[in-house]
Amino acid sequence: MPDGTSGTTAATGPDAAAPEDAALQEALAAAYTAIWGYGVVGAAVPAESRPAVVTAEQAHRDVRDELLELLSGRDVQPVAAEAAYDLPFPVLSGVDAAALAVTLEDGAATAWTWVLDQAAERSTRELAVVALTATELRAVVWRAQAGRTPVTSAFPGLPEV
Amino acid sequence: MSAPCSPFPAGAFSRRTLLVAAAAGTAALAAGCTNGAAQDPADAVTPAQADRLAAQVGVQEQLVADYAQALAAAPQLATSAAVLAAQARQQLDRLRSAAAQPAPSSGATAGTSAADAVPADGAAAWLQARVNAAADAHARACPDFTGGRAALLGSIAAGLRAQAGQLA
Repeated sequence: MPDGTSGTTAATGPDAAAPEDAALQEALAAAYTAIWGYGVVGAAVPAESRPAVVTAEQAHRDVRDELLELLSGRDVQPVAAEAAYDLPFPVLSGVDAAALAVTLEDGAATAWTWVLDQAAERSTRELAVVALTATELRAVVWRAQAGRTPVTSAFPGLPEV
Repeated sequence: MSAPCSPFPAGAFSRRTLLVAAAAGTAALAAGCTNGAAQDPADAVTPAQADRLAAQVGVQEQLVADYAQALAAAPQLATSAAVLAAQARQQLDRLRSAAAQPAPSSGATAGTSAADAVPADGAAAWLQARVNAAADAHARACPDFTGGRAALLGSIAAGLRAQAGQLA
């Protein structure tokens, strides 16, 4: 059973790109998780929020596709999506769903800051800063719907010190 | 009819899949962003990077000054944007740590020139433009760095872009 890190061993060879590829695998795993998770979010949010869910899910699908192409182009076997995932908490209301969306986006933000930390290629860092910004912009919307304050974060994807 | 114990028997959504990177990287990220080059020789800052990082500290100092100017000129912003201003100061503190720059003495922060004075009308829009400009600057600089400094600049750029959205 994959545990969310399987497949990363394909990127842990002695070459210098291995840490970057491993971080990209984590970003890919986060994208898979978000795509799955937004299915849960979409079933629980009010109708007026569903367009935002569709847009967010598509954004993660686009990121997934970009990462699959990038990793395959490097002859790295991309990690596979899990068949299903455990929810971190019950999603019983629109507020729960928004909180789940925050978790999904924050998870993606963590993965992308790790890519920034690990990337050897400038082009990868360019990709990462764009993806990180996009995920934080979505997170702000969901934090508001989840009733979180503040809705912004000083350091998206990084631990608060 | 019996229900399964869990409809989601596989995976490890909350911690493993989403946050494995954080588990592996949090310490390194935090250290790299707060202790400059002390952690990893491979992540040592070059002289050129030191200059560039100092420039980003300057960008953030100006933004903090802009927040102060805007909040002073438009009291209605003081309520809505105070938390954003505080976050900008936190970002500045962490950038200074990464650049190994001490905080300047009181009163030595960047100012706003008369030509750039906050308009009596439209302080929020003025501030939004400043925040976006700072986000642009950090996002442009981010790929020039590696390791924790790249992560820090990228994170701050993303955070500021979200702030700008709140000022719309």
